[in-house]
Amino acid sequence: MDLSESKDFLVHTASLKEVRVFSREVFDKLKLDNDLKEELVLAIAEAAQNIVKHGYKGVDSTTDRMEIKISLKDGKLEIGFFDKGKPVVPENVQHRQLDDIKPGGLGTFFIKQIMDAAVFKKDQKGWVNHLVLTKKI
Amino acid sequence: MSYKVTEEGNVATIHLDGEIDMDVTEKAKEVILPIVESGKEVHLNLSQVQYMDSSGISVLIESHQKALENNTKVVVKEVSKSVLKVIMMAKLEQILNLE
Repeated sequence: MDLSESKDFLVHTASLKEVRVFSREVFDKLKLDNDLKEELVLAIAEAAQNIVKHGYKGVDSTTDRMEIKISLKDGKLEIGFFDKGKPVVPENVQHRQLDDIKPGGLGTFFIKQIMDAAVFKKDQKGWVNHLVLTKKI
Repeated sequence: MSYKVTEEGNVATIHLDGEIDMDVTEKAKEVILPIVESGKEVHLNLSQVQYMDSSGISVLIESHQKALENNTKVVVKEVSKSVLKVIMMAKLEQILNLE
């Protein structure tokens, strides 16, 4: 079953629950195994959290919205994130070393563990950043 | 997220309920850290927590480290399968006191 759905959210921590609800609804339509579904929901929520936490670092509140687009075609899941936060320098997106036990720095690690690829694209018409996560399912 | 705290002797049990994400981590820390800093042993019961992201994991790490500083410990109890999976993904199952 091929599918493509998108939704936009206010850039705010309170939107993260809505992001998870949207993602679960889409993955329910795809009848994904529950463990895979929850892994994908975590990856999506971490990427959305990165937008709120890093893309809008130092911004108390904003009316900006971010868009998440989930597509499945020919067994390849593609999840796009569009935002108007600070421009991301992909080379600077690093997770902490796992043996350096301290709070923070795990979101990007989780995304890399769960997804096959995470790439910032340069085709972000009208947006500042366009992150694409992909996974063969 | 909601919570309930019960105390018996030097042990405080904190039952967390709901999904632990970046939106509620400050609230979780406000509940947990003062009790840890008081020197009590803290038992975090996560049986009603079905989702935890990296922010929630950070709260567990910070609580654990704060406990070590205060010569006490945080025991993480009744972890749901989904949360355990995230803890294991972070390779923290040998670091945190899981029961």
